[in-house]
Amino acid sequence: MNFVLIGVNHKSAPLTVRERLAISPARLQEATQSLLSVPCVREGMVLSTCNRVEFLTYQEPAQADLLEFIRDFFAVDTTALRPYMYEYRASEVVRHLFRVASSLDSLVVGEPQILGQVKESYAVARSVGGMNSNLEPLMQRAFTVARKVRNQTSIGISSVSIASVAVDLARKIFGSLQGKTVLLVGAGKMGELAARSLMQQGASTIYLCNRTDERAVALAEKFSSQKISGQLHIVQSIPYSSLHDYAAMSDIVVSSTGAETPIFNRQHAQAYAHRRKQRPMFFIDIAVPRDVDPEIDRVEGIFVYNIDDLQAVAVSNLSNRAREAADAEAIIRAEVERYAKRMQSLDGVPSIVALQKNLEEVRQIELRRMAPRFAGLSSDQMQAVEQVTRALVNKMQHAPIQAIKRAAQEGDRETLATIQTVFDLEGHSESAATVEPTQAEKPTKQDCPQ
Amino acid sequence: MRWLELTVFCVTAANSALRYILMCWISAQESASRTMAMYLIWLRVALVFFGASSVAVIPDVLSGQARWRRLVLPACVAAVFFNFVGLAEMLNLAHHWVPASLHEIETSFALLLALTFLAIYWRYRAISLGLFVLPIIFLLLLLPAAGPDHAPLSSQWMHNGWVLLHIALLLAAYAALIFSLLSSLLYLIQERRLKQKQVGGVFSHLPPLDTIDQIAFKTLVIGFPCMTAGLLAGAWIAQESVGAGYFLDPKVLLSVGMWLLYVGMLFVRRHSGLRGKRAVYLSSLVFLVALSVWAANQFSTVHRFVAP
Repeated sequence: MNFVLIGVNHKSAPLTVRERLAISPARLQEATQSLLSVPCVREGMVLSTCNRVEFLTYQEPAQADLLEFIRDFFAVDTTALRPYMYEYRASEVVRHLFRVASSLDSLVVGEPQILGQVKESYAVARSVGGMNSNLEPLMQRAFTVARKVRNQTSIGISSVSIASVAVDLARKIFGSLQGKTVLLVGAGKMGELAARSLMQQGASTIYLCNRTDERAVALAEKFSSQKISGQLHIVQSIPYSSLHDYAAMSDIVVSSTGAETPIFNRQHAQAYAHRRKQRPMFFIDIAVPRDVDPEIDRVEGIFVYNIDDLQAVAVSNLSNRAREAADAEAIIRAEVERYAKRMQSLDGVPSIVALQKNLEEVRQIELRRMAPRFAGLSSDQMQAVEQVTRALVNKMQHAPIQAIKRAAQEGDRETLATIQTVFDLEGHSESAATVEPTQAEKPTKQDCPQ
Repeated sequence: MRWLELTVFCVTAANSALRYILMCWISAQESASRTMAMYLIWLRVALVFFGASSVAVIPDVLSGQARWRRLVLPACVAAVFFNFVGLAEMLNLAHHWVPASLHEIETSFALLLALTFLAIYWRYRAISLGLFVLPIIFLLLLLPAAGPDHAPLSSQWMHNGWVLLHIALLLAAYAALIFSLLSSLLYLIQERRLKQKQVGGVFSHLPPLDTIDQIAFKTLVIGFPCMTAGLLAGAWIAQESVGAGYFLDPKVLLSVGMWLLYVGMLFVRRHSGLRGKRAVYLSSLVFLVALSVWAANQFSTVHRFVAP
């Protein structure tokens, strides 16, 4: 396994270092092509996200100077970068890649975006011939492992951002958010984010309210101009004077004003509950100081979550994820081991191919030698001779093939070497392994130092 | 004082449960000495499946281990199948199609509850109700599966279509009432969790509040015509057999009271959106009246199927 990976991430390097190495999606293809032109690099992929920049390669032999490539491509001094960089080789690369794809190496463990980013990098690498017989199976396995981790653990289930926690809580109250009405009070950024998340989950109507009506109108225009998840939404700015009328009509109220005193009190809540015939109502209070009087929580059917409550849920979910991460690590360990075994067993393939080729040559030579004596045979009889000799060869090669497979699987190099010597496979197996050079293996670049 | 009441309640409940199990055991011993009827085997198989389902639903609901659902649902479906076969065999053996003896009623009611549970799961994906309903079904089926019922039944009513309608509709109404009560309880639990900002731990996988509310309300709405039609069918039978005097029978009076209470509950729910604690109190009251209607058989002169 001549895999080599070099890179920086949020743990190894500060943002100032990461941003010097960041590659925009537009330049990803160019970066991958440059990586593939490095001597000894047969296959390669570049992964660049806000938290990591990594260069994954398959080298033959594993002697490529990737630091030199970084220096040339980014025009940076690599001696200053060196302390922030990590390098993995062979099975360490497999483990690291599985952890990255499964979101165990992410800043927010379990976040789902990383798998999509890895897939995008993979697609780019594939399009420029960076994926072949070595990296392709590794990447496919990484995607399978990531799916397995997601399916077998609850690592990605709980929400850890304020906006997604708010959406989750709304779902616990209303089930589906389809057709629900949201009232956004104030023009705070976090409130806007929460409202946007609720709309993405199906809320159909949004009322926007601000002490300054012009700001509400501007926000309504902003919401209307940005299509959210392709659905039709009713976006309406409302005057501050009719706040309580619209609040009673809303299922979810997101409040993030700069008001010094609460703008929703218990009397308001009781009036809403009465008008709504006790249908549940959810207040998301992101303002500091609070916009919603905590006494409202005592009114039946009305639920109030302030910024601390949301934060507490997010922290609790984060610790749940950490617990799930331990199970995920166990899955990764088993998968790395399985992959290493599979790679070992693949080492036997050239020997098997060579053995089959060797015996077939012997059969052909013998048939040619006996050809004058077969001259009198009919075509049916010749066919029978063909079949008999082929069957004999198959039977003779069955036992050694099984032995090669077993030895390769167990990593028993001594037995493998013995079989190769007995059947004279050494020269053949090398040539068998290099029968068809892949695109990346073709000598399109300068010679690799041997 | 509340602790004392709770202790007395627990002791009484434990005593009743022990007596019930003892009764089942004695019944099983009696039946073992005779040739075992085929329906008993089917009911026991159903009982085993319901038992497995009742156990598997606990980790599924309480800790959200969804893999247990692969056992809960197939086991429940298999149990429903064997319950149905057992009931059909039981009625066939008794040469009538009206479930009238205690065992027949219990078996029918267990089947109805299980079917309702599966229907609710199919519609709302709400497995949480199984936490309460599946053990109830298991206990209901325990006595019929233990041995045959020996109470002689009057053959006069056993082939009457009105009686079948009366029993089937009222059992459906009781089933709806039980589901509505259990849903109201789940609503209360979920509401309390959300108010107390509890996100993890036990009961963190309950259905959304709105879904529970829909189940509670829709089961009530479905139960209402069943109860009305069931009582009307019963009134028709009583009028035909006893005459106008049937109305003064304690069971009939209680049934009318139960129906009025049911109407009241539906009205309040529809017009003021009764939810949470008050919904549980009202559902519990209607359920207690329904139980007392059932118990009123002891005092009723009209509602008698046992042969003299």
